Amino acid sequence: MARAALLVSSILLSCLVATSYGATFSSLMRTLVVTASPAAGQVVKSGEDKITVSWSYNNTFARGTDSTYKTIKVKLCYAPISQVDRAWRKTVDDLSKDKTCQFNIVTKPYNPSNNNTFTWTVERDTPTATYFVRAYAYNSAEEEVGFGQTTDSHKTTNLFEVHAISGRHTSLDIASICFSAFSVVSLFGFFFIEKRKAKASQQK
Amino acid sequence: MADIEAPFGSSMHGVTGREQSFAFSVATPETVPAETSANFALPVDSEHRAKEIKIFSFAQPHMRSFHLAWISFFTCFISTFAAAPLVPIIRDNLDLTRADIGNAGVASVSGSIFSRLVMGVVCDLIGPRYGCAFVNLLVAPVVFSVAFVSSAEGYIAVRFMIGFSLATFVSCQYWTSIMFNSKIIGLVNGVAAGWGDMGGGVTQLLMPFLFQLIKMLGATPFTAWRIAFFIPGWLHIITGIMVLTLGQDLPDGNLSTLQKRGDVHKDKFAKVFRHAVTNYRTWIFFLIYGFSMGVELCINNVIAEYFFDRFNLKLHTAGIIAASFGMANFAARPFGGFASDFAARKFGMRGRLWVLWIVQTLGGVFCIWLGRANSLPLAILAMILFSIGAQAACGAAYGIIPFISRRSLGLISGLTGAGGNFGGGLTQLVFFSSSTFSTATGLTWMGVMAVACTLPVALVHFPQWGSMFFAASKDAKYSEEYYYESEWNEDEKQRGLHHGSLKFAENSRSERGKRQVIALAATPPHSTPNHG
Repeated sequence: MARAALLVSSILLSCLVATSYGATFSSLMRTLVVTASPAAGQVVKSGEDKITVSWSYNNTFARGTDSTYKTIKVKLCYAPISQVDRAWRKTVDDLSKDKTCQFNIVTKPYNPSNNNTFTWTVERDTPTATYFVRAYAYNSAEEEVGFGQTTDSHKTTNLFEVHAISGRHTSLDIASICFSAFSVVSLFGFFFIEKRKAKASQQK
Repeated sequence: MADIEAPFGSSMHGVTGREQSFAFSVATPETVPAETSANFALPVDSEHRAKEIKIFSFAQPHMRSFHLAWISFFTCFISTFAAAPLVPIIRDNLDLTRADIGNAGVASVSGSIFSRLVMGVVCDLIGPRYGCAFVNLLVAPVVFSVAFVSSAEGYIAVRFMIGFSLATFVSCQYWTSIMFNSKIIGLVNGVAAGWGDMGGGVTQLLMPFLFQLIKMLGATPFTAWRIAFFIPGWLHIITGIMVLTLGQDLPDGNLSTLQKRGDVHKDKFAKVFRHAVTNYRTWIFFLIYGFSMGVELCINNVIAEYFFDRFNLKLHTAGIIAASFGMANFAARPFGGFASDFAARKFGMRGRLWVLWIVQTLGGVFCIWLGRANSLPLAILAMILFSIGAQAACGAAYGIIPFISRRSLGLISGLTGAGGNFGGGLTQLVFFSSSTFSTATGLTWMGVMAVACTLPVALVHFPQWGSMFFAASKDAKYSEEYYYESEWNEDEKQRGLHHGSLKFAENSRSERGKRQVIALAATPPHSTPNHG
């Protein structure tokens, strides 16, 4: 009985261990220097405005630290103020569960030189929020091995805002009004026509 | 119309219609006199109510009304919960916080607490056809108005107003009760309610699918979800017009026929109300239905978002999983009613109470498991078992509710229905509207609360039938007649107003279980209960 319990609990434990394996953010070194064009506090309009990001390797680190770097992914990440009360944007140390950076700006092969840049038009499905830019370096096994970001370690400086589209369109508004009017008119139309028919048949 | 008094709230005319005890027996005994002169597609009784149900028929008037009734209720469920699977997109478009999302969910189920009570009056005044059509055609503009929503307040307001449409539960059950004989009305109402509730599941599939389709056709996400809402809006218009053109209030056709019927006694609202609220069983079932239907309503609002966030699924995958919760209603709710009837055959009312307690507690237990499940396959399994438990509990509850009172049947059914919505709003508010609990923890605690709040079933005692732990009273004074007659005072008994209750009491003797030999009296032609 005790052996069965031990077996079951060790299986469950190993399942738990298996699911929690993954790179953690705190284990990464800030080996990349990342800059983005929006100034601190600037408001960027989605769908119209562009962001230029540039990244390079920070040479103050020992040589060979970047030997495993294969690809760079630059992402748009939520600042803490936009994560309040929104658990679907939560920052978690386990990177496989982390939801801080949900928008991919660009993916490029790793190049330690200084002239990596990319200009990105902010996508129209980017929500209104406060953001910073972060770049992750991945090894050939697609695991995070380094990062860099435009803000400080507390994510309080150099943040910018994106102003999203409303999603509304005049044509949609007009269609909505037309169908609503049709609905109400058909209801009261039927009602009054039937009332008149009933009255007419009663009078006969 | 002047000769009808329809006291507010008392006209839940046959909301469940389970006046007779053999709710699920389709075999109609010879005791129900048949009307031979009428020309109907189905065999009918003397009131021209159908004695059989043929699911695949659309014949006028009975089957067509059945299908129109459940389809219109189904459409309202679709639009009430249409936002739920799209919340991951809507929350980004409108910059919603968890509190906003939770409040909108609460709002979507609270509106109908009131509208269900009003619908009863409306059905009595202008008939279920217009009641149903009014709701459908007036809620369509609200659904279309999501095109204008641009803030959290607008979103909450729209969901609140769309939620009013759940009043079609009352018109649906009212309409089928007029059309079908009481001996099969349990099955008919259980199927109609179950298939209507299924809309909460279908919407979790339909809306993400529409969203993907519209996105593929070129719209951006923040516009696509608004366009997707147009489809439920059109469904409302189509259903409303179908009900008006194809539907018929009564088997004989005209509502004016009902108005001319003067031989039916209209009870006083104050009396009906008093007997409903002073019966402690009403409030126990108010609580219990809040943790079967209420939990179901709450889950319809949170489950898609839960699977999307917790297991990192795509929107339409989360929708498919969430849909299977609501779709289980197709069979689970009728199953609950059937299980209740089956247990009653041998054990009577005690069997019904045990069935209710067992399925609802199991539902709660599986809800706890759902919150704790860390892997996707386990979570899906837990959710499916949970859905069967909760929905069967809804069906089982309405297997007992018709016996609580005969005089106030309609009002009690309506109050219980409102209790379901109240429970749904409460659980959503407590467990899923703040950042105190994660959704997973919220599910676990909701399950715990459901198990705890199902315990009061043990307190429901009928002197003539017993309760979960106590047998029926040995004192011969406590008969079915005694129980149902006690709702009328001496003056009313002298005027013979209690005869309907007496007939019901006689028919309800089957709730004693197999040990009792039942001599069912022939059902007199005009025994239709009238609570208007």
